[in-house]
Parts: sequence; C-alpha cells; structure tokens
Amino acid sequence: MWDGMLSGMLTGISTTMIPLNIAMVLFGCFMGSLIGMLPGLGPITAVALLIPVTYGLDPTTGMVLLAGVYYGAIFGGSTSSILINAPGEAATVATALDGYPLARQGYPGKALAIAAYSSFSGGTVSVILLMVFAPILASVATSFQSADYFALMILGLTAVSAFAGRGGVLKALLMVVLGLMLATVGTDQTSGVQRFTFGSLELLDGIEFLMLAMATFALTEALSIVLTRDASSDSLKPKMIGFKSLKVTKKEFKLIAPTIARSSILGFFIGVLPGAGATLGSFMAYGMERNLAPPEEQAKFGKGSLRGLAAPETGNNAASSGSFVPLLCLGIPGSGTTAVMLGALIAYGIEPGPRMFTDSPEVFWGIIMSMYLGNIFLLVLNLPLIPYFAKLLAIPRNFMVPMILFFSLMGVYLVTFNDFDILMMVFFCLAAMALRLMNFPMAPLLLGFILGGLMEDNLRRALMIYDDSLSFMWQRPLTLGINLATLFILFFPILRSLLKSRNGKADPTTAV
Amino acid sequence: MAREKVGALIMLLFSIAYGLLATRIPLSFMAQHEVFTSRTMPYALSVLGALIALLILILPTADPEGKSTLKEKTHGMEWRKAIYLVLLMIGYGLIMVWLGFIISSILFLIIGFYILGERRIKAMLLASIPLVVLLWFAMSTLLGVYIAPGEVFYMLGVL
Repeated sequence: MWDGMLSGMLTGISTTMIPLNIAMVLFGCFMGSLIGMLPGLGPITAVALLIPVTYGLDPTTGMVLLAGVYYGAIFGGSTSSILINAPGEAATVATALDGYPLARQGYPGKALAIAAYSSFSGGTVSVILLMVFAPILASVATSFQSADYFALMILGLTAVSAFAGRGGVLKALLMVVLGLMLATVGTDQTSGVQRFTFGSLELLDGIEFLMLAMATFALTEALSIVLTRDASSDSLKPKMIGFKSLKVTKKEFKLIAPTIARSSILGFFIGVLPGAGATLGSFMAYGMERNLAPPEEQAKFGKGSLRGLAAPETGNNAASSGSFVPLLCLGIPGSGTTAVMLGALIAYGIEPGPRMFTDSPEVFWGIIMSMYLGNIFLLVLNLPLIPYFAKLLAIPRNFMVPMILFFSLMGVYLVTFNDFDILMMVFFCLAAMALRLMNFPMAPLLLGFILGGLMEDNLRRALMIYDDSLSFMWQRPLTLGINLATLFILFFPILRSLLKSRNGKADPTTAV
Repeated sequence: MAREKVGALIMLLFSIAYGLLATRIPLSFMAQHEVFTSRTMPYALSVLGALIALLILILPTADPEGKSTLKEKTHGMEWRKAIYLVLLMIGYGLIMVWLGFIISSILFLIIGFYILGERRIKAMLLASIPLVVLLWFAMSTLLGVYIAPGEVFYMLGVL
C-alpha cells in the first residue's frame, strides 16, 4: 500500500510541479479568494465562474485550477465574515461568530492571520489524511458493481438531505428529486428517445450543467444582493489593515495549537461523509471546542475568542479537503461545490470513481498534491495580500452586481456560443429565485442533477444483470449494507423525535 | 400560507405535470415489453416528487425560516431593480447575435450600472469598455476562440 502511495505521490509531484500547473494553483487560489470574499458569493459560484476558463486546458491542469479556486474561496469567505460580518456562504458563518467581534475590538489583522494559519493547518493535515485514506477507499471500491453504485448514489443524495438541518430534510429531498427530473431532459443515451425536449433542438443534448450551476448560484446570488437591499451593502468599507497587525504572538499560537489539531481531524472525517461538507465541519468544530473549553474561556465564545475563531476555520478547510474523498474515490460528490467539480470532470471525459485512481492517476494525484501547494500559496502569498483584498469590499454594489451577471452569462455563452442558453439561464435563474424565496435549498438540486444520468444508467445495468429483479438491492451484502445506511440516515430524525417524545420531551415540530 | 407550503404546492403540481408529460415519451415496439424503459425513471421521480411535496404540505412546518409567508419575506425588497436586471439579461440574450459580443456587452454593463443607481458616465465607460475589450482580446487572440461579429455589420456591409 505504501509503495503505491509513494509512487502516486511522485506522480502527483511530477504532474503538479510543472510551471503551468503551479501558475494555475496560484491563479485558482487568487481568484477563489477574490470571488469568495465578495459577500453572497461562495465556493460553488467561484468554481462555476471559473469552469469556462478550464475548458481550454488539459484535465489535470483544469482540475488543479478548480481545486485551488475551491479552497481559495473558503479562505476568501472568511475574510468578509471577519471584516464586515458578511459570510460569503454557510461554511464561514461560524467564523463570523468570533472573528467579527475580534475585528470590532480593533484586531482585524490578528483575526485574519489566525484564520489564515488555521486554514493552512486544517487544509494540510486534511490533505495528509486524504492521501492515506483515498487510495484505500479507491482500491476497495474497484470491486463495486452497478448495484453498489446505484445504492451509493442514493446514500449520497439522502445524506445531503439529512444534513439539511431542522425541518429541511423533506425540502432538500424534494430539490434532489427536482434535480433528477431536470437530468432526464434530453435524449436518453440508451434508447435514443427524446424526453421533455418539446421539439426544441437546443434541448436534445439535455440541460448544460454549467448553465444550471451559474443560473442557480451566480445569477441568483447576484440578484439576491439587489433584492434584499442590505443596509450594510452600500458601504462595505472595512478599516485599513496594516501588515504589522497581522502578527500573532507565541502565547496565542500555544492557545490555538491544540484547537487546530482537534478540529483538523474532526473536520476531515466530517468532510468525508457524503453531504456533510464544510458547513457542518465548521459548526461541529466550533461546538466541540466550546464544549471542551474551560468555563472562563467558554464565556469568551461569541465575543472574540481566539479558539472560537480557529476551530471553525480549521474545520471548514479540513472538511473541504475531506469532501474530495467521496468525489475522487467513488465519484459521489460530498457537497454542492464538489458536485460542480464532478460535472467538470465528466465534461473532460473522465469517469469519476475508483477507476480514476488507476485510469487517470495523474488527475487523481495531481489534485491531491496541488492541495499542498495551494495551502502554501494561500498562506505565503494571500496573507500579505489581505490588506489589498480587503479594498475589494469597498467596490460599490452598483458596479459589482452587473459584473457578476456579465461574467456568469459570458461564462456560459463563450463555451456554447448559443444565445438560447442565455435565455434559458434567465429562466432557471427566475425559477431558482422563486424556490429560494420559498426557502428551498439549491445545492441538493445541483447534486441530483449531476448524479441523475449516472444513477439511471447504473439502475438500468443492475436490473439487466439481475434479470429485471429489484433483488440486487439486498442480494449483495455490500449493497444491502449501503441501503441500510441510507435507511438509517433517512429515518434517524424520526427515530430521534420518537425517542424524545418517549422521554417526555416531545416537540411537535421536529418530525422531519 | 407558510412560504414553504406554497413551494410544496407548486412542486406537487409540477410533479404531476411532469408525470403526465412522461406518458408522452415515445417507446419503440421492443421497448414496450421491457421492464426498464425511458419512462421508468420519470414515472418514479414523478411519484416520489408528488409524495414528498404532499408530506411537506401535510406535516407541520418545522423550519422556523419556512414559517413566514411569502408576503412577509418579500416585503421591502427592491423588486423594480431586480426586474429591470432580468429584462436586461433577456435583452442581452436577444441582441447578442445582432450587435455582436463587444457592443452588446458594453451596453449590458452600462445599462446595468445605470439601473443600480450609477450616474457617472466616465466611471461607467471606464468600468465597461476596457473590461469587455480585454475579455474579447483574451478570448479571440490569446485563446484563439472565434467570436462571431454581429449580424448587423454584415447587413450594413461593413464586413
């Protein structure tokens, strides 16, 4: 196993350490930080916006760039959370809990530096764990059959919904189903039959995933900024930060070092769970740290605690790297962002899953090794650039929003050169906007859409192998195990609620 | 009505319509005797979608965020600017073929800035023209992507 890992690492190093790929990691981290820092724009939008740039590149270079954008965006999101209390997305909400109070107390530089060091440590520890666990899982997964894949996809989609939070399970499931429905539009690859095309030639190839990602995230988020008329939105001028203020003392390092170590490991394993992702990673790390802290330190949480800042920052970065495990080893995305990356992999003609480990080792190991490089770039290059990045937050919204809209529309148009796609984007943007206003999440929709085609293919194949019988769901022990895990995840909220009511703590609103 | 119930009702109707449309998916004679056809997945999804939407409608709203009505949620929103921007995007899609990438993009950005309240002409021109020209140059010259000029230039005999 270690020999394989060593040769894989060497493959990864030789792939990543070419000038073009190093430049792409740097560019990805820079662009990710830049986009992620803009309030309202998270990693999904950042990755989706940069996908058109990768179409001219080879798969490894493209994926290395997108991975850089992903963790750059997480890092950038923390900056806006700390400086102006405007988290770019859910994964950095926990960062704002202590980061913003720390900035208000006059230590914005220190808060940003701690966030950078925590992100670096969380990301690096997580990449080491990824390097160990990914090949093991990938080698186990080579024995998977269509039935197992189908069951795994159901598990992934269910898990995404199960982590949706209180009262959100059914809504997330419904969005998964809607995503699966959208995936059926176009020509059925097996039978050649047209489905839901309404005679339109443009719909014969189905709905373009990049278009859907841009419409449901980038366009919708830009319009949300206009719609909500946030009071802080017209004057996002953070205080100027000097280089000296970025200093962290030895005592402070000593205080946060155990927090970083704990949160890195917790974050990674949470990230590995399909559907959990960086948001859960950051909140769980924050919660764990608050529970472990002595009472006097616990009282500081929410008021500018250094441990309270280091924990979620480490947790979300570690979980981001962890979410690459199901993506690279099983071809099942663990989060909305990795779902977009899966779409990019498919567009490159690479079949994600365990075979990628043997068929495209340069992509597999290239992504992993580029993460080391990306973490170093984020720390060494982005940290000194923070004072300049912060100025970006002062760009007026009346310039920023049209530019986001323009880049989103252009991103799709310059790939397809079809003006119909622009109109379809607007249609999907309006539908997504309506669904968001009705409190329905968008990430599960994207996940369902990307997995839809693969799911149908695997189900069809499994049925053919098992003579049109659904017995494949329980005949193989592995498939049965995965299905039982799915059922457990699906019914856990109901079981918990039943147990609570039995203990006399019934809450009528916690049903699902 | 709680806003998530409104969403569930819409999704219920959508799932039913989707299921009905699925019955129109053409099947070959051979396919009609198969267990898994092009209609199977859409049928399953239609039933599943309708079932989940019904559950959301029937069960009490657990998510505190979803309890507010649409009216409460959308109160005070900047609808006018958002609608103008949507119309601008549609217009952009329609004029792209006629005016070409550069002119339509510059117009899109300038009108977008104007809708959001910008009135400094110099700032609007400086923020739009260099950006679009740079993007066009990068795509057409550096990456070798052919971006067709607008139809209007052919009609006027300029090209």
